Amino acid sequence: MTPLLEIEGLRTVFRTSAGEVPAVDGVSLSVERGKTLGIVGESGCGKSVLSLSIMRLVAHPGRIAAGSVQLEGKDLTTLSPSAMRDLRGRDIAMIFQEPMTSLNPVHTVGFQVTEGVRAHEPGLSAAELRARGIEALRRVRIPSPERRFDEYPHQLSGGMRQRVMIAMALAGQPKLLIADEPTTALDVTVQAQILDLLRELQAETGMAVILITHDLGVVAEMADDVAVMYAGKVVEHTDARRLFEDPQHPYTLGLLGSIPRLDEEREDLLAIRGTVPPPFALPPGCRFAPRCPFAINACNEAQPPLLPIAEGHGAACIRAPVEKALAA
Amino acid sequence: MTALLEAEGIAKHYPVRQGLIRAKTIGTVRAVDGVSFSVRKGETLALVGESGCGKSTTARLVLRLIEPSAGHVRFEGVDITTLDRAALRAFRRRAQIVFQDPYASLNPRLTVAETLREPLEVHGIGDGRSRKARVEELLSLVGLAPYHAARYGHEFSGGQRQRIGIARALAAGPDLVVCDEPVSALDVSIQAQVVNLLRDLQRRLGLAYLFIAHDLAVVKHVADRVAVMYLGRIVEVAEKNELFRNPRHPYTRALLAAIPHPDPTRRGRIVPLGGDLPSPLNPPSGCRFRTRCPFAQEICAKEDPPLEDGVACHFRDELPPAGLDFSGGLAPNAARRLALFAEAGRRQGTL
Repeated sequence: MTPLLEIEGLRTVFRTSAGEVPAVDGVSLSVERGKTLGIVGESGCGKSVLSLSIMRLVAHPGRIAAGSVQLEGKDLTTLSPSAMRDLRGRDIAMIFQEPMTSLNPVHTVGFQVTEGVRAHEPGLSAAELRARGIEALRRVRIPSPERRFDEYPHQLSGGMRQRVMIAMALAGQPKLLIADEPTTALDVTVQAQILDLLRELQAETGMAVILITHDLGVVAEMADDVAVMYAGKVVEHTDARRLFEDPQHPYTLGLLGSIPRLDEEREDLLAIRGTVPPPFALPPGCRFAPRCPFAINACNEAQPPLLPIAEGHGAACIRAPVEKALAA
Repeated sequence: MTALLEAEGIAKHYPVRQGLIRAKTIGTVRAVDGVSFSVRKGETLALVGESGCGKSTTARLVLRLIEPSAGHVRFEGVDITTLDRAALRAFRRRAQIVFQDPYASLNPRLTVAETLREPLEVHGIGDGRSRKARVEELLSLVGLAPYHAARYGHEFSGGQRQRIGIARALAAGPDLVVCDEPVSALDVSIQAQVVNLLRDLQRRLGLAYLFIAHDLAVVKHVADRVAVMYLGRIVEVAEKNELFRNPRHPYTRALLAAIPHPDPTRRGRIVPLGGDLPSPLNPPSGCRFRTRCPFAQEICAKEDPPLEDGVACHFRDELPPAGLDFSGGLAPNAARRLALFAEAGRRQGTL
């Protein structure tokens, strides 16, 4: 069966005074129906531009320079703007990190929750719209949805606002939900509520989810497959279990080593030296090489492709697996 | 051992007013409502809790950046809530703060050298030459290079800015540094650098930290003791290992149970805490956590449980075991490669 979404060689660039710089550089990924793909990385790795590229929401001076994004065999990068507008919300929907800034403060929750329905199904009566909106709020487990329907975003807590965002996203029954750091701004007990809700809704609707996050705990909790991104590229790609049991790319190791854990005592955290290179000053070879303790001269010469280490496990590192490279 | 800092029943109440000309007070937000704790010399006390629990307000109260509505703060036995301006300034030489947002907490019009010199000038420490030397010393202390001194804040990354913020806090040679979510705005790999730096500085300079945080994994890594706050109160305080091994307050347990572990084999075990945080304008009667507590009984609505034996709960000795499992850790392959990573990094002398 073909995957629901297939990204092939996607490259998104931004025009700057220093010329065109890539934010996403040759990314190939796929998402199966009903599954969750986690995309992990730090600020500037390109994970958010990737999601905007899928939605064709990259604003000037950015543009998709190469590659394709196929949804059920249809290439989204070549769709007309109006066809793309039809598709957004209906086939692919998106939620963001900041539920406060993503909601319009001057409209009621009900008005915003029914916005998609009004656009895609004109001609519904006010009573029908209200019923649909209340139903949407009930689906995301908002208590007393009849009352909340007439309230404004500022009257809701952060967790409730994110529920409203999810309700809006799911109104068009999308096949794919892109969640860009959906719980990063929330407290941990509220995060647990939202992750629980996403999991239940996914089981109910069978939608696929692309979950973008910097939090390895959230990835371990939610994702089927995981892609680790660094400086615009996917550096490791496998299923969630293997990523944690058999991490291969030095950047993945660095990430795992930098997070303090509740289930382990460590004297010092393993900090990755240096910082992520800006997209206008990328190293010529492997982009992680300047920060990598395993780097050799060859790492600075050519960009390592994402190659299979094992069936279903790719890593873009000529030194992987590192114990072999070091023994040699 | 005597405490370096002691907070006793401190509170901050904000009146809520309505109307424009003859504004009337219609209620009171009890942001911090009777909080007591102490920080010993050289130790780290973490204050943890979720948004709105009052932890950042508490941080500002103990430095008297805001005036308390009630209670006392003592530094080496001296009540700082009644100090005059000169004495307060002398106190601030010994107690400093690092803020959460390294982007907002540096003056964009000052170079790094000017930023670091300012506390020395304010406190009249040294002369021109010794201040210049001190600036260089501070830069190297936080892992920055001497040439960084001439640069402006915007030229630095978030992690480097936080290093500057730490250097500024250390400039006057304090004994206590209040760290208000010092790593929450940073990426994880940078977070680790700053956490390691803070621990290293503590060892070298014998600093005491009041460490405000919401991330319990970070807290477990840096703290000696932990105080958990909920709606303006401390609900539990304990030695760190004790708190994680045997969390006693139902809220502490709920916080710990909600954290997703970086381990897919433990998937599906996070337990969300039901309900929303009540408004601090109108907190529940009795125990403030009772509206969300699975163990709440009648008495919880009637009587406010005092913090006794480290826990503020009527049923602290009757609750079932928390049943939280913090065993596990890195998978063997991951641990082996991480050791190689650390080893290779040490050999390069770069970590």
